[in-house]
Amino acid sequence: MSEPKLNRRDFLKLSAVGVAVISGLKVIKYATASETEAGPHQWVMVIDQGKCTGCGYCTLACRAHNDVPPHISWNEVTLAGQVGEKPVYIARPCMQCAKAPCVDVCPVQASTYRPDGIVMMDYERCIGCRYCEVACPYSARSFNWETFEGPNPAVPEWGEPEVPRRPRGVVEKCCFCYNRIDRGLSLGLIPGVDPEATPACINICPTGARVFGDFNDPESNVSKLLHERASFRLREELATFPRVYYLPSIPEA
Amino acid sequence: MKAARKFPRNTLWLAWIGVLCILIAAGVVAALLVFSKGLVLTNLSDRVPWGLWITIDLSSIAVSAGAFSLCAAVYLLGLKRFQPVARTATFIGLIGYTMALLSLMLDIGRPDRFWHAVVFWNKHSLLWEVTMCVTLYLAVLAIECMPIFARFEWLSRRFPKLTSKMLGLHRFAPILAVIGLGLSMLHQSSLGAIYGVLKARPYWFRPDISVLFIISAVAAGMSLTVFASMISSRLTKKVKVDDDLLDRLAFFIGWILIAYLYFRFWDALAMTYTYEPGRTEGLSLLTQGTLSFNFWIGEILLGLVVPILLLLNKKTRAMPFWRMLALALVVGGMVAYRWDTNLSGLLIVLSYLPGNLAVAYTSYHPSLIENVSGMGILAYGLLAFSLGVRYLRVVNHQEITHHAQEKLVAEPAAAD
Repeated sequence: MSEPKLNRRDFLKLSAVGVAVISGLKVIKYATASETEAGPHQWVMVIDQGKCTGCGYCTLACRAHNDVPPHISWNEVTLAGQVGEKPVYIARPCMQCAKAPCVDVCPVQASTYRPDGIVMMDYERCIGCRYCEVACPYSARSFNWETFEGPNPAVPEWGEPEVPRRPRGVVEKCCFCYNRIDRGLSLGLIPGVDPEATPACINICPTGARVFGDFNDPESNVSKLLHERASFRLREELATFPRVYYLPSIPEA
Repeated sequence: MKAARKFPRNTLWLAWIGVLCILIAAGVVAALLVFSKGLVLTNLSDRVPWGLWITIDLSSIAVSAGAFSLCAAVYLLGLKRFQPVARTATFIGLIGYTMALLSLMLDIGRPDRFWHAVVFWNKHSLLWEVTMCVTLYLAVLAIECMPIFARFEWLSRRFPKLTSKMLGLHRFAPILAVIGLGLSMLHQSSLGAIYGVLKARPYWFRPDISVLFIISAVAAGMSLTVFASMISSRLTKKVKVDDDLLDRLAFFIGWILIAYLYFRFWDALAMTYTYEPGRTEGLSLLTQGTLSFNFWIGEILLGLVVPILLLLNKKTRAMPFWRMLALALVVGGMVAYRWDTNLSGLLIVLSYLPGNLAVAYTSYHPSLIENVSGMGILAYGLLAFSLGVRYLRVVNHQEITHHAQEKLVAEPAAAD
C-alpha cells in the first residue's frame, strides 16, 4: 500500500465525516428545538415576610397534596433573622427561575420550562444523576435516596395527594401545583383567586402571607402587590430571575 | 523478583487473579445491594450528592487519556516508533472507559434509564455532551482494540477469518486517531467544565478547571501507560519493552507536569485576591481545612513536585524504581485532584438568605458499600489489564517495533 493512496482515502473519509457532522447538526437543530414561547399567563408567587409567622403549615399542606415524604420539603421554612424584636422567616418553594440552572444542566431534558414559566420535572425521564441538585442555588431539589413506602404522615390531616408518588432514584421539587392550575383553568377558575385553582401552600397559609397570581394580569393580586410594595428575590446577583418575590418585613415604627 | 523465584510463577499469577476475583465478587454483591435497596446505602446526601464513585469515574476517564494522546502522536504527528506504547494505552483506555461506565451505572439513581441521554438531547448540558462523547469514544476505542483482541490465540485458531478481519481494522487507525482526538479533547475538558459552569458554586465557577482537567489527564494517562508497561516487563519475562521509548515519554510527562503546575499556580493565586463567599472558603478548605493533607501532600508535593524532579533528572529517570515511583505518584496526584475538586465545591453550602454571607460546612466519608463496590471496579480494571498482558500481549514492544521499522523502511520505497 503506497502512502499517497492511503492519504487520499483518509481525506475522502474525513470529508465524509465532515458532511455527516454538518447534516447531523441540522438534524439536531430540529430534534432539540426546545425554546419555549412565553404563554398568556406568567405565574408568580409573592411571600410577605411581615406576615409570615413561621408556622410551617405550607410545608405540611405541600407534603400532603404532593405526597412528599416526611424527610423532604419542597417548601422549606427557615428562620432568617430578626427585624426589631420580631423573628423573620423565609419560606422557600422552587423559585421557578426564568433562567434556571437546573434546566440548563439536565442531560436528558427532564427539567423543562412550561409556557407559563413553571419549571417542570419529568419523573419518567429523570435518570437521577443529581447534576440539577448540585446546580440549584436555592437547594430546592431533593433526591429520592430510598423508596417512600407506607402512609404519608401528613395525609389526611393536611390534605389528599393529587399527584403520583415519585419513584426511588429521581430528583423531585415543587412545581407550583401545576396540576391544580391546569385543572382550575379548564374549569374556568382563576388561579390565585379560586382556591381550587391555587397552590396548596397559598390556601393553607393562616396569615395570608402567600399570594399567587398572573404577572401578566395588571389586576391580579400579585401585580398590585409588586407595584405597590418594594420586593426582592433570592440571590438576584446570579441572574436566575426567580418567579418567587418576597416583601420584606418592615420594622414597626 | 527474589520472592518470585521461590514459587512457581503460575502460583503467584493464580493468587493475583484469585485476589482480584474475590474483590470483584465483593463489588458485585455491593452493587446488587445498591440496585435493590437504593442509594440510601451510600453516605451521599442532598448536600453532597457526588462522592467516591464520581471520583472513580473522573479518574478512570483521566487515566484513559494516554490512548488519545499517544494515538494522536503516532498517527497524526507521525511519531511511528511510539506505536507499541499507543497500543498499550488504547487497551488501558478501553478498560478505563468501561470502569467509568460501571461507576456511573452505580451512581445514577435510575440505571435502567442510562440510555435516556442518547435519546433525549439537551444540548445545553455539559453532562449530555460528555455522555455522548464517552459513548462515541467507547465505540472508537472498541474498534481500535479489535486488532489487539485478534491476537488472542484461541480466537485466531478457531476463527481465523474473523481475526484477520479484526486485524484489518488497523487500516482505520489514522482516522480513528482523528475522531478520538476530537472526542477526547471535548469531553476530557468538559468533565472539568461540568463543575466550572455552575454559578451556584463560586469555588467551581471559573474556566480553569476544564484546562486543568485535560492537562492532568494527559499526564496521568501517559504515566499509567508507561508504569503499566514497566511493571509488566518486570513481572513476566514474556513482555519485552523498549526502555528508550518509555524513557522519552517519562521525560515528556515531566514537562507536561511543569505546564500543569504553572496553570495550577495561577489558577489558585487568582482566587486569593478578594473575599468571595464560598470561593474563599473552598480554597481554604484545600490549603488549611479538611482537604489540606490531600492538597499539599497528595496533589502538590507527591503529585507534582517530586515526580517533576524525578522525571526531569536524567539519573533518577534512568533508574526503573524511581521512574516507576514518579509515574505512580502522578496518577495518585491526579486522583487526589479529582477528589479535592469535587469535594471543595460540595462541602460548602452557601446560604440563599438575603444579605447573609453565612457559609455552612458539611462532610462526606464514603460508606462501606461505596468503598467495596469501588474496589470491585478497580479490581476489574486490574484483572482486565493482567489478562491483556498475558493473553493479548498488550505490552509488547519488540514485535511491533520490528514491524513498524519494516514498514518505515518499506514505505518510502513504495512512495517513490
